[in-house]
Amino acid sequence: MEIEFQRVGKKYESGHDALSQVSFHLRQGEMAFLTGHSGAGKSTLMKLIMMIERQTTGTILVDGVDLRTLGKHAIPYHRRRVGVVFQNHQLLFDRSVFHNVALPLQVSGADDDQTGKRVRAALDKVGLLGKEKLNPMALSGGEQQRIGIARAVVNKPQLLLADEPTGNLDPRLSAEIMNLFQEFNRVGVTVMVASHDLALVARMRHRVLTLNQGRMVNDGGFA
Amino acid sequence: MARPPQQRSAAQRGATRQAHSAKQKPVWRAQGFDFKLYLRQHQAFLIESLTRLLGHPLASAMTIMVIAISLSLPGGLFVLLKNVQSVTDRWEQQSVISLYLFSQLEDTEALSLSHQLSSRADVLSVEYISKEEGLRYFEQSSGYEQIMSTLPENPLPIVLKVIPKAIVDLNTLPDLQALRDHLQSLPQVEYAQLDAEWLQRLATMISFGERFVYAISALLVIAVLLIVGNTIRMAVESRRDEVLVMKLVGATNSYIRRPFLYMGFWFGVLGGLFASICILMLSWWVSSPAEQLIELYHAGFELQSFNAVEIIMCLTISAVIGVIGSWVAVSRHIRDIELQ
Repeated sequence: MEIEFQRVGKKYESGHDALSQVSFHLRQGEMAFLTGHSGAGKSTLMKLIMMIERQTTGTILVDGVDLRTLGKHAIPYHRRRVGVVFQNHQLLFDRSVFHNVALPLQVSGADDDQTGKRVRAALDKVGLLGKEKLNPMALSGGEQQRIGIARAVVNKPQLLLADEPTGNLDPRLSAEIMNLFQEFNRVGVTVMVASHDLALVARMRHRVLTLNQGRMVNDGGFA
Repeated sequence: MARPPQQRSAAQRGATRQAHSAKQKPVWRAQGFDFKLYLRQHQAFLIESLTRLLGHPLASAMTIMVIAISLSLPGGLFVLLKNVQSVTDRWEQQSVISLYLFSQLEDTEALSLSHQLSSRADVLSVEYISKEEGLRYFEQSSGYEQIMSTLPENPLPIVLKVIPKAIVDLNTLPDLQALRDHLQSLPQVEYAQLDAEWLQRLATMISFGERFVYAISALLVIAVLLIVGNTIRMAVESRRDEVLVMKLVGATNSYIRRPFLYMGFWFGVLGGLFASICILMLSWWVSSPAEQLIELYHAGFELQSFNAVEIIMCLTISAVIGVIGSWVAVSRHIRDIELQ
């Protein structure tokens, strides 16, 4: 999936300018980091791609389609093509790991057979195959984060968005998580990871987009 | 055997990549509609929502009993009304206009009047009761044989029982009264009696009763809608996180709504079921005194309760109310829960 922002601005109702004049082009199969201080607009940018928020100015093209042309009813179908790992909206603790990961498939109406196979494949990729029957509560923070990733990729999305996926993790676990994203990128998934962990981002050697107070101040080089 | 799917997915990826490079508008909706899958999903929701209901037995039971009590009041009034109507139905058919002719009238004159009347368009038939027949009938039914035999001559007049074509109810009553007045004005007729005048009073009371039942039913249906709506609203609220995650992974609003609609359905069905049970128990409880009471006035009356059709109707109506109540609550509420 490719994403293109053309002078995109987002002004919240409170009057706060979260993003202004943001332009960038993320190509099909590319991997990029999005950095900046908290409040720089990283989350807002991802919400615009997910159509959780709508931009106030500018144009967002996803695979060449202007998101403004998509009505309310198209939003769910748009979201099914994007896998997200958001810090809040995490796991549901009233069901097993398996059923957490299966949610995107159930929502899009996959049959049980297919669901079982895909969920196990996704859990296998993140190294949690043996824990599908457990409650996520019984797992460690790093493992919970990986359940979230499995849920994000179970639908075989063309784009993977992650907002601070290593937020509460120690450096070793953070590196593991980043490597996972890299692996998905290697099989052709477009990946965008928002992180303020500059040291980690620098080590990954990918394109870095830097936001500062809602403006894109750096695009391209390593941080 | 494990190979082909992998190959296919690789091919699909290639195809999508081509599509992207050609800048075609991607397919937003899943192609094709699998009806079997759709039914299976609904079945799963039906069972899941019932399981959820039973997972909170006390809270669910309280809601269900409130619904049941609210529905059993109009249901019980309906049964009462049905019984009153069945009593009046019997009496309706018996309604006649009795013409008491002047006693000096000859039999032949009376007979020709009888023929004349039976040819009228609004008269079904005329029964001719001669003085002798009247006497015999009177002796048999009253037990005044001795007194009658002491009388020097038969004091009874010739009676024509005119049975009007129209069935007596509140609508035809004015016509029948007009017919009675006309017959009263005939020179041969001493007195014309329409035995349906009491019906007007009863019919008025019934129509009053009907309106009362409708008004109570409407109020209680609204109450049930609110109860279901409020319960479902709380259920949605308690599953807020789940709703948010489902929205995030691309659930349509109708998909999110579905388990809650089924929950409303179950509340309705179970509420209706218990309401039916309440009504059956209530009518069983009052049946013996009620039958005794009615027997004093009218023989051969049987108290009617909810029959199978009415129970099914009660369940259907309450299920519909449940679904509507939850629909209103859930539609509003799911729209309000938005990702932030």
